[in-house]
Amino acid sequence: MSETLNLKKCLSKVLNQAYLDFSGGTLVLDQWSPKAIQRVFGESFWTWDERAEKWRTLASNYGPIRKILDANSFGTLDRVAQLQNVVWPKIGLPNLRLEQIDAVSHWTQSKLGVVVMPTGTGKTEVALRIMADQCCSTLIVAPIRDLMYQWHRRILQGLGYDAGIIGDSVYNVKPVSVTTYDSASIHMPTFGNRFQLIIFDECHHLPGPFRGDAARMSIAPMRLGLTATLERSDGQHLQLEQLIGPVVSRLEINQVAGGSLADYEVFRIPVKLNDRERVRYDMLAEQVSGYVYERRQKEPDFRWQDLCAESLNSQESSVILRAFKEKQSIEDCAEEKLRVLEDLFRLHLGTPMIIFAGSNVMARKVSSRFLIPCLLNHCGKAERIDYLDGLRDGIYPAVVANQVLDEGVDLPAVKIAVVIGGMASTRQAKQRLGRILRRRGKERAVLYEVVAKDTKDTERSRKRRKNDAYERTRHRHL
Amino acid sequence: MLTRELAIATYDRGRLIPDRLTRKSHAQYIDLSQSMLDIYRIGIGKSRRSLHTAVRQLFQGITECPPRRILAFCKLLDDVSQYSDGDRGKTAKLRQAVFRAAAKHHPLVAISDSLFDSEESKVKKQIAEMHAMDWPELNDRLFADLIENHRLKSFRGFDRADALLARYNVAQAQVALFDAVQMTIVARQDFKTILRFAKLARLMHKITKTTNHYVFEFDGPASLLQNTHRYGLGMAKFLPGLLSCRGWTMEATIRGSRFQHTLKLELDDRCGLTSETVPANEFDSKVEESFCLRWGEFPRNGWRLERETEILHQGQTAFFPDFVFVHAEGHRVLMEVVGFWTPEYLSHKSKVLQQFKDQQILLAVSQPLKDKIGHDLNQPKIYYKTVIQIEPVLQALAAIRSQP
Repeated sequence: MSETLNLKKCLSKVLNQAYLDFSGGTLVLDQWSPKAIQRVFGESFWTWDERAEKWRTLASNYGPIRKILDANSFGTLDRVAQLQNVVWPKIGLPNLRLEQIDAVSHWTQSKLGVVVMPTGTGKTEVALRIMADQCCSTLIVAPIRDLMYQWHRRILQGLGYDAGIIGDSVYNVKPVSVTTYDSASIHMPTFGNRFQLIIFDECHHLPGPFRGDAARMSIAPMRLGLTATLERSDGQHLQLEQLIGPVVSRLEINQVAGGSLADYEVFRIPVKLNDRERVRYDMLAEQVSGYVYERRQKEPDFRWQDLCAESLNSQESSVILRAFKEKQSIEDCAEEKLRVLEDLFRLHLGTPMIIFAGSNVMARKVSSRFLIPCLLNHCGKAERIDYLDGLRDGIYPAVVANQVLDEGVDLPAVKIAVVIGGMASTRQAKQRLGRILRRRGKERAVLYEVVAKDTKDTERSRKRRKNDAYERTRHRHL
Repeated sequence: MLTRELAIATYDRGRLIPDRLTRKSHAQYIDLSQSMLDIYRIGIGKSRRSLHTAVRQLFQGITECPPRRILAFCKLLDDVSQYSDGDRGKTAKLRQAVFRAAAKHHPLVAISDSLFDSEESKVKKQIAEMHAMDWPELNDRLFADLIENHRLKSFRGFDRADALLARYNVAQAQVALFDAVQMTIVARQDFKTILRFAKLARLMHKITKTTNHYVFEFDGPASLLQNTHRYGLGMAKFLPGLLSCRGWTMEATIRGSRFQHTLKLELDDRCGLTSETVPANEFDSKVEESFCLRWGEFPRNGWRLERETEILHQGQTAFFPDFVFVHAEGHRVLMEVVGFWTPEYLSHKSKVLQQFKDQQILLAVSQPLKDKIGHDLNQPKIYYKTVIQIEPVLQALAAIRSQP
């Protein structure tokens, strides 16, 4: 007791004018003596910054620091948070399904954590419900600007609020705003003290020395992470616990397939390279493998990554890398794929279709061959909305896209998707499948994979099928 | 500036050496540089892709040129170019119109049959006619808003071929700094200019004085708490300013994801890198300038005059009194001229003088400001009308020196 009194006395002497401030993504505290810091906060949190002659810590520590200061009124003036109350003009959210209600209530217990739900099971609705409940200044961070705009639209529809936008050359900060990971990590030092709740959509994108600053430089005491695919092959997802919080709710894809998700079938269609492509392909393949073989004779540890690294400085490696890329592009853009696509269009006339290409070049090739819209990064917001709504309303028979649609972008109910090229990564395959699995009656969705025969394309397709999303699918050869 | 992917550097015993083109080692680059400038100068109206292709073709047969260097040149040339955006809105509208028109004929088949009679070539011809063009032209316009299809509108360029090379060399040093976590500068001159450029680049400083130079350590707020290169961009922006200063050596600590170890990037004022940034090295006003001229190079009564060679600093505020008088026997006296009358100037100056009131600074105050500033400060003062006379200054210096 006497010690507490002592401490208060010693603090009050020092603390006649102590301030806690937000400074460039960090918190600074002045006037406190090392002894007082040690007694009140212990070893954690504060580091003495001789440059500013203040104590400094990451903004993300604001929650616990506030709690400590609240428990003992030390008279430090807190000028950190610049928060505004939020009143939702009009809440019109759909009723949640059982698993969504579970997710909301699990998160609400601690208000810090990650919700893992497969694509297409209504993560956005969970987040909007949480926003509606919390009624506070909120920042939503999305991987790409399409998704950012989509959040903007969903908030307007569901909560009647015209959110601010930070990204895509727009900088308009409002109490409720949407942004991208890149913009968030750049600008968090300026507005990290203006949001109480921060939502990381597709939060497996967050970890990293720079991107993680989007979490570390924010004071938000409430944090929600949303993802379908938490695990990263580099293990960096383990950082999420520190950046956001633990996993508070997890729903596996096979828990919902057949329920919320439609069943689906996968058809694999191998196509042959034409003679011209084949000759060129084999020549390039030989050139590449010959080079790698020779290098391995001399350096057994030689890896493909070494070649990529060297290629920027060495002309020989750059020639090999260019050969490799051309080889890839032959697989990707094989003429025959366009012919197969024509057949699929004939087969499914009247049913909206989405085509996933492996590159921008191929996406544009498909677009100008069939004159169907192509969704690429250069499309403006209005154009994109026109294409997606047009697909839903039957104005456009099909759209073609590359990575733009990989993640989370809400699509109209599409039952037919065609993958004509792409990467082998498990996550990408999951995301792509998620696109066509939206629940709509009892119809069965179909995914076509068009792969170039006897090339790396076939190998990549095999890899893709290994992941759990494919396990429940029936594979057929046409 | 360049982007990370365009960085070229070599590593030597813990040191990072950015790619460097010199007259000696890369003589042929002067001609190449001239040809690149010519491509852009006569390239108005051409697409970005075709300009880049033309530049790439120049380098065919140049064996020692890494591809990244060519891309870097293209980037630097684009930086001083203006491109049209391909009529974004109009092009998007055109696309929408074309796709909508084609939707009625979906799918466009290569060869029509009894079930599907929309032959690709016929439909395309028909749609092109609706827009009063032929198909190849329409096809060309369909994606005119893609960055690689943007057309060159104007080219500011560089005065001479070697100016492009000079810019390239600086740009490679700058891009290396993107991964810098900390920068230390030992400065013997131009302290104020260096700190001013650092402040413009939003860097935080730590200042230490040694016998005959200052050490500046630059980074940012979060550097104290985590190893971060988020202020590397600021250091890169700061570099051209630094290059325009004299009397410094710089060492940056580089920690990138591409290499495991920490590396050092070292530069100094004689490293040969040059920038177009001109340091504002003028005097604050005519009053300082004329005083300095009249004092002359040589000591008077044992006092030598130095300009802005002393830094007073507290936290992140740095203050450079206009003059330092150094006596042959070691005494140092600071002098600050207070001559402007705008309210902003006066309030700023009062605040700074208040902050450093524990330092002895001789104030030379313009007569009309006598009651407006400094009267609450315990500093020695002299007053001047239009020019600061030498004699009163010498008297004040003598008085200060005679103090215990």
